Parts: sequence; C-alpha cells; structure tokens
Amino acid sequence: MADGVLSPGVNLEAFSQAISAIQALRSSVTRVFDCLKDGMRNKETLEGREKGFVAAFQESLHSVSRDLGELERLSNLVGKPSENHPLHNSGLLSLDPVQDKTPLYSQLLQAYKWSNKLQYHAGLASGLLNQQSLKRSANQMGVSAKRRPKAQPTTLVLPPQYVDDVINRIDRMFPEMSIQLSRPNGTSAMLLVTLGKVLKVIVVMRSLFIDRTIVKGYNENVYTEDGKLDIWSKSNYQVFQKVTDHATTALLHYQLPQMPDVVVRSFMTWLRSYIKLFQAPCQRCGKFLQDGLPPTWRDFRTLEAFHDTCRQ
Amino acid sequence: NVSQVPVAEGKSVQQTVELLTRKLEVLGAEKQGTFCVDCETYHTAAATIGTQGQTGKLMYVMHNSEYPLSCFALFESGPCLIADANFDILMVKLKGFFQNAKANKIETRGTRYQYCDFLVKVGTVTMGPSARGISVEVEYCPCVIANDCWSLLMEFMQSFMGSHAPGLPSVFGTKHDSIYSPSDTMVQYMELFNKIRKQQQVPVAGMR
Ligand SMILES: [Zn+2]
Repeated sequence: MADGVLSPGVNLEAFSQAISAIQALRSSVTRVFDCLKDGMRNKETLEGREKGFVAAFQESLHSVSRDLGELERLSNLVGKPSENHPLHNSGLLSLDPVQDKTPLYSQLLQAYKWSNKLQYHAGLASGLLNQQSLKRSANQMGVSAKRRPKAQPTTLVLPPQYVDDVINRIDRMFPEMSIQLSRPNGTSAMLLVTLGKVLKVIVVMRSLFIDRTIVKGYNENVYTEDGKLDIWSKSNYQVFQKVTDHATTALLHYQLPQMPDVVVRSFMTWLRSYIKLFQAPCQRCGKFLQDGLPPTWRDFRTLEAFHDTCRQ
Repeated sequence: NVSQVPVAEGKSVQQTVELLTRKLEVLGAEKQGTFCVDCETYHTAAATIGTQGQTGKLMYVMHNSEYPLSCFALFESGPCLIADANFDILMVKLKGFFQNAKANKIETRGTRYQYCDFLVKVGTVTMGPSARGISVEVEYCPCVIANDCWSLLMEFMQSFMGSHAPGLPSVFGTKHDSIYSPSDTMVQYMELFNKIRKQQQVPVAGMR
C-alpha cells in the first residue's frame, strides 16, 4: 500500500525496532512500580530487606534508563515523514488507500491551484481597473480607502421613508414628469416615470442608488402579465432602445456616493430633457434625422440634443 | 403621425410608384407585406330627405388592413365611428336609410415598408377599373402626439418624396396635444379620396 510513499523518509526496520523498544520501556517502567509496590517483604532481617529493595529498585531504574536511551536512538533513525512532505499534514491525505471512493487529495490540489490562480488574476484586474477607473469609482478614490467601505453601508440602509421623501420632492419639481413609486419586492423601490406624452421610464432602485433603467414609448406596455412592472423586456422602438443605452451611461456619469439624493435629482433633470425628443433638431448638424433616428443623446451638462454620432 | 399625399407627375401612376419605392429601398427601408384601405359611399335615402327637408348627407364606410377587426364610419365633417367589422352587415339592413353608391367605391392598395421606427405605405388609388393616383402614408410609430413629430416626419418625407412632401394635414391643426388615433388616419384617407374623386374626369396621365 503506502510503502512506496513512506520509504523515502522512513526507515521501516528502525520503525519496528522502535516499537519493540517502546514495549521494553513500558515493561521496565512497570517493573519499577511493581518493585515500589511490593516494598521490603520476604527478607529475614530489616537490613537484608532494605538492601534487597534498594538493589532491586536500582536495577529496575537502570533498565528504564537503558530502554529509554535505546528508544531515543531508534527514533532518530525512524525519520520524520509528515514534515518531509511538501504539503505538510495535508499530504497525509495522499496515503488514503481508497483513492477512487474519496478523491479528496486530488480535489484539494485542484482547489489550491485554482485559488492561487484566482488570486493572481484578481490582483492583475484590480491594478488595471484602478488605472482606468470609471467616474463611479473615480469619485470614491478621492476618498481614503478606509472610508469607502464605511460610506456605502450607511447609504444602503437609508429608511424607506427618506427615499419616499426624496422621490416626492423630485416629483413636485417637474410638473411634466410624474413619478409612481412602488415596492413590489420588499424594501427596494421601483419607479415608473412618465415624461409628458413622450416616454415612460422604469427605474429600479437599491436604497437611493439607481440600479437599472429601461426607457419605453408612451404607448408601450410597461407591465408583465401578472401586473408587475416589467423590468426586463426592452422597447420595440429603436429610438427608445437608444435612449435606454444613453440613460445607462448617464447612471455611470452621475455618481456621488456621499449624496445619493443629488445623484437621483441630476439624473431626473437630465431625463426630463427628453420631453423634446421628437421636436429638437441636432445641435451639431441641425437635422432631425440621422439613419432614421432623431437626436437621442442629451449632453450631461448643457442638456443639448445631439445625434449619437454627432456628439463630440 | 400619418400623412398621405397624392403624388402624381407627368408619368404614369405605375412609373411614379416604382420611382418612390425604389427611393425607399435605397434609403434602406424593408418591405413588410401589403396593405389596403377601401372606402364606400352611402347617401341618406330619399325618403328621409323628403321628410326632413334637408340636403342629402354623405357617409363613408371604410376599412383598413392595419385594423382588420374594425370598420370606420365617417361623415364628411362630422364624427368618426369605429365599429366591429360586421358593421357592414348592419349597413345592408339599413338600406332604407342609407344607399350604397357602388360606383363611388374607391380604394388604395400597395406595399408596406419599414424604415427604423417609420412605417411607410405607398399605394395606388383605384376607382372601378382605373388607377387614379398615388397615396403615401408615413407613420412615426414611437410618437403619439402628431404635432410633436411633424418636423421630423417632414424631413423624412422630403428625403424620398422631394418637393412633393405635403403640407400639414388639417387634422393636425385641430388635434393640438391629444393622442393620435386610427380614426385620424382614416379622416386623412377620406379627404384624399374625395380630392381624387373630383379629379376623375381628368385623364390619368395628366393628373396632378
Ligand atoms: Zn446631428
């Protein structure tokens, strides 16, 4: 069985001798205690008794120390199997004779290799991402690394009442825009924003952070068959698919982790500029249509209308 | 969202239709089957006129292949009624009051094109056996307020119709900001058909 594995580090001959040495040591130790227990009996004179006892005791102690010395000598010859193995104690798993039934050892090696690789790649990725960070993370990098993990949890657990207030205030800010707030899946809010008679936007929130938006036409259905907001299907019209893409870009642009309410307000202000989606000509080429689409882009700062290909 | 135009030039109706559709295809529009809009004219029956002492009113009953389950009943300047398709059977039963002027039946048939979010229908208008003109309907589907997208629609129509792009249809003026409905399309077709009927004496080739 494991002979092949054991042999390089372990001297089997010395091993079996050491076992006999342990047995010898145990019996000599037993004799010491037997001798002490028996005491000074079976001798005629007190002097004879004392002499006999001391001699017997001395002899048994000698044999103990002799056996102990022999064991120590042998134990040096036996070697140290576990410490010689590169994976230390986990290497002992490789000694398991039933490899086929419990392939623990090979699995362990795989997992180790995999986690090593993962750590290496994660290190590379984090290096690259820090160099070319998006706006979202660029803001956070200004804050010290210690504060960042702290700031997030506090804004994630904002009370629903606070979120409601912020949304209500925005709703009142823009008369041509109506915002319907619902919480179909627990605490996370979902908004249905209707902008004039132009478009509808489904906004999925996580606390006061906007997770996802989908823009659809005013006459398109925004509900699933069971009456819930449909957050997955896209618009049937190319214009609104394009506007959805731009809105997702806007979410990445408007980021200020310490002031999520400002972010939501900026996003809604930007969104409101689509009230003239079909009426505003492109600020660069002056036309309404390009490849059959109106100017779908709105500048983040000036809110001016541009065709997707006319911006910059 | 919709506007339709009688485009007729010195050429024959068929040549003009071919020219238009070729321009659309060059733009990148894709063919999406065919369409048909028809219109029957009903006179209020003589008996009713006599008792009321009024001049006869005309009623138009129209069908549009875009809305196969509906039937549209329009008065020249009055309301537009949208009914189920079996409204036709009702009209047969009402023949004591409304008489079908069969000779006046007019229709347009042609190809339906899609270009981005635009829907374009180019049709040949026929009355009886002869072709009388061309209809072009352009719809910008994402927009529900006709006035909002008029400039955009105009730019698109000029791109394939050139100087023949139409002026603002009269329904747009009265609609303001209300939502566009199928009956607005039908009113425009009715007006177009009436215009073409009045030109019917003119030979086809010389039609404007
Ligand atoms: Zn442009």
